[in-house]
Amino acid sequence: MPNILFKRILFLIPLILLGCFVFGQEQSDVTFELKLSKEKLGINERLRVEFTMNKDGDNFNPPSFEGFKVVMGPSQSISSSWINGKRSFSKSYTYVLKPNRQGSFALGQATIEIEGNTYKTLSKNIVVTAAVDNPNAPKSADDVADESLHLVAEVSKASPYLNEAVTVVYKLYISPSISVTNFRPVDSPKYNNFWSQDIPVTKYNTNNGTYEGKPYRSVVLKRVVLYPQKTGKLDIEPLSLEIYVDVPTNRRDFFGGKIYTQASKTVSAGRRTLTVKSLPESGKPANFGGAVGEFNFSVSTSKTALNASESLQAIVEVTGKGNLKLFQLPEPDLPSALEVYEPEFGESVRTTVSGMQGKVSNNYTVVPSFRGKYPIPSISFSFFNPKTARYTTINSDEITINVMEGPADAAAINPATGGVAKIAVPTSEQFHFIKVTPNLTNIGANYFFGSNRFYALLFCPFLLIPLVIVYRKKLKKNAESIEGNRLKKANRLARKYLSTAKKELGDEDNFYVALEKGLHNYLKAKLKIETSDFSKEKITGLLNEKNVEIEHTESFIALLKNCEMARYSPFTDVQMQQDYHKASEVISLMDKQL
Amino acid sequence: MNRKLLTILFLIFSFGVVAQNNTLFEHATEAYNKGEYQKAIGFYEKILENKQHSPELYFNLGNSYYKLGEIGPSIYYYEKALLLKPNDIEIKNNLGYANNMRLDAIDEMPETAFTSFYKTVTNYLSFEQWAYLSVGMVFLFVLGYVVYYFLYNATQKRIAFIISASGLVIAAISVVMAYFQYKDFKHDKPAIIFSREIAITSEPNERSEKLFTLHEGTKVNVLEKLGDWQKIKIADGQTGWLPSENLKLLKNF
Repeated sequence: MPNILFKRILFLIPLILLGCFVFGQEQSDVTFELKLSKEKLGINERLRVEFTMNKDGDNFNPPSFEGFKVVMGPSQSISSSWINGKRSFSKSYTYVLKPNRQGSFALGQATIEIEGNTYKTLSKNIVVTAAVDNPNAPKSADDVADESLHLVAEVSKASPYLNEAVTVVYKLYISPSISVTNFRPVDSPKYNNFWSQDIPVTKYNTNNGTYEGKPYRSVVLKRVVLYPQKTGKLDIEPLSLEIYVDVPTNRRDFFGGKIYTQASKTVSAGRRTLTVKSLPESGKPANFGGAVGEFNFSVSTSKTALNASESLQAIVEVTGKGNLKLFQLPEPDLPSALEVYEPEFGESVRTTVSGMQGKVSNNYTVVPSFRGKYPIPSISFSFFNPKTARYTTINSDEITINVMEGPADAAAINPATGGVAKIAVPTSEQFHFIKVTPNLTNIGANYFFGSNRFYALLFCPFLLIPLVIVYRKKLKKNAESIEGNRLKKANRLARKYLSTAKKELGDEDNFYVALEKGLHNYLKAKLKIETSDFSKEKITGLLNEKNVEIEHTESFIALLKNCEMARYSPFTDVQMQQDYHKASEVISLMDKQL
Repeated sequence: MNRKLLTILFLIFSFGVVAQNNTLFEHATEAYNKGEYQKAIGFYEKILENKQHSPELYFNLGNSYYKLGEIGPSIYYYEKALLLKPNDIEIKNNLGYANNMRLDAIDEMPETAFTSFYKTVTNYLSFEQWAYLSVGMVFLFVLGYVVYYFLYNATQKRIAFIISASGLVIAAISVVMAYFQYKDFKHDKPAIIFSREIAITSEPNERSEKLFTLHEGTKVNVLEKLGDWQKIKIADGQTGWLPSENLKLLKNF
């Protein structure tokens, strides 16, 4: 049993020894460094150069110190100490140099051989300036502050597109050796040719970081979002701050703590130049209004069906990320018959480090006055997307507004505002249904006016007038000839029956006898009666039977009476003549009817 | 003999076409009533292809396009119907509805009292109607004259003379009116804009200055033509050029 324990201890011994060896090995890390008292000095100052190593070496070989004159050295110093059993060793070669002339010099590498290996220092640059007032003075608090404070403007994008968001963050780097007590901006930069929005910093948080390889603390002091409004090289003016700092001095207080001294320092961030690219011309839509970013676009109405004189809202809206405040919203084309009021602009935009975000809208109040259908045609909105470096066009949907019921009296509506002429529709009239009777005719420009038919119809009637005149004349002539025939016949009858009476004209007795006889003969011939019984009643009855007009019959009877009367009373020649004419007339008249 | 046969065949054929067109018209009416406006338009266009038309047909086409929300064709066909039947109230009413959809609001040029009087008088009837009226009046004149010539009674003669004389005067006026209207009709070349939006330029080329913008459905008057460009005048008196494909002439029948 004790044997096993011994074996275990035996096994552990090499491990312990190995650990000791490793520890020792770590201690033997070799450093060989070059330390300068100043990196920048006046020509009347001196420079102390120290080559330090932590292990003893041989064959030290200094650099050439070109541009400098060795005033003193090399002086060797060795220090060795044991603290808590730990040995620290340091050996150094020191030179004091005097610059020969102004300019920038590179201090070359020094070499040393330590434990058979050759080590080299890093070369360093030294700037020799003109003579300084206070040569070989220790670094002042201002110098320290100068070295320990750096204000830097960080630009998110050095070559943005026109109207693309650029963020500028101002950071103050503070070396851990000093502490900032306060700061105040001296000069706020003006961002000419930029649309700028400051994002206020409410809380100053320190972050640990590095600045040019050295550990530093950093604080964000100011954030600005910029939208370049011009192409080409644009300068961002520097920001200047006055900073109050506590700087440690070389003096120590009673307790060994460093004594700090106050210093104020004005720092400014360097001038930055942005190269602003213009938006590409190729593929630029005609309606491009300068929107850059990523957007969504819509046109909507609050109602699509309403009654006349009610109102509706038409909203043109753009949402997304980009220069929302920096472009014009497209205007909708609304039918001229709608009353449209000035739009109400609405925006809810948040500006963050990455730019503007949110929505902008135009809210139109539309009041239709008349019944009907009003289409709102689709409108388009174009923007440039800097991420894809391409233009995008979004078309809104087409909307139709139906106005169902119009006002009863069109005249009651006020005339449109804005001086835009509106088309009045008789609102009392409904939209008429189609017509159901076709009434089709052939297509063709055969107009009646100007055609031959037209002229013929227009002028031919005039020819009718002379025709009518000629016709009438002829008719008259005919009529006259008929009259003549009748006369002829009457004469012939008179000659036939009254010839004896005519011979006896003037002789009263004989004339009337002859006339009576003639009349009787006429009746005999016409009525075919073979009797001598010529009473007046009989004659009247006979004539009535033959439908002879009573007038004629009476005048005939009157003649016969005259003949009888003439036997007893005297008759003049004139009366005889009259009776003769009457007789011939009555005969011819009666002859027509018999 | 042969010619007679041909004529008869032609008559039969044309009667066939008429009958066919009437059935097409009925189909279109049915389709419209069912809300199938596109189908109705198809039927109407077939009738037009068969070389027949009527104000009613154009009115119905305008209605169908209105229902589809197509501004340009709708106004175009209403205007066409109005050309054939100038004083139809229904056509005017529905044209008003279609005009409400238009985007352009153009102030009409104010007319002088004389031109407005002249227009009211000449446009009271179409020149065709004036022509028919003049022919009718000439007949009345001749009839009146003949009656006057044959009558004996003095009062009757006087009445006949007055009728006859006024017939002659009216006939003469009608012919003059028809002539003026015909001249205006020939001179007037109205057209309707069919493009959504078109820029009117000062010269008939692409480079020239843009004067103003017109939208679909606006009525313009064509003044001149040069190649593919046409000079137009709008109601407020402005003139400019635009490519021919953007408009459609109304008087193309």
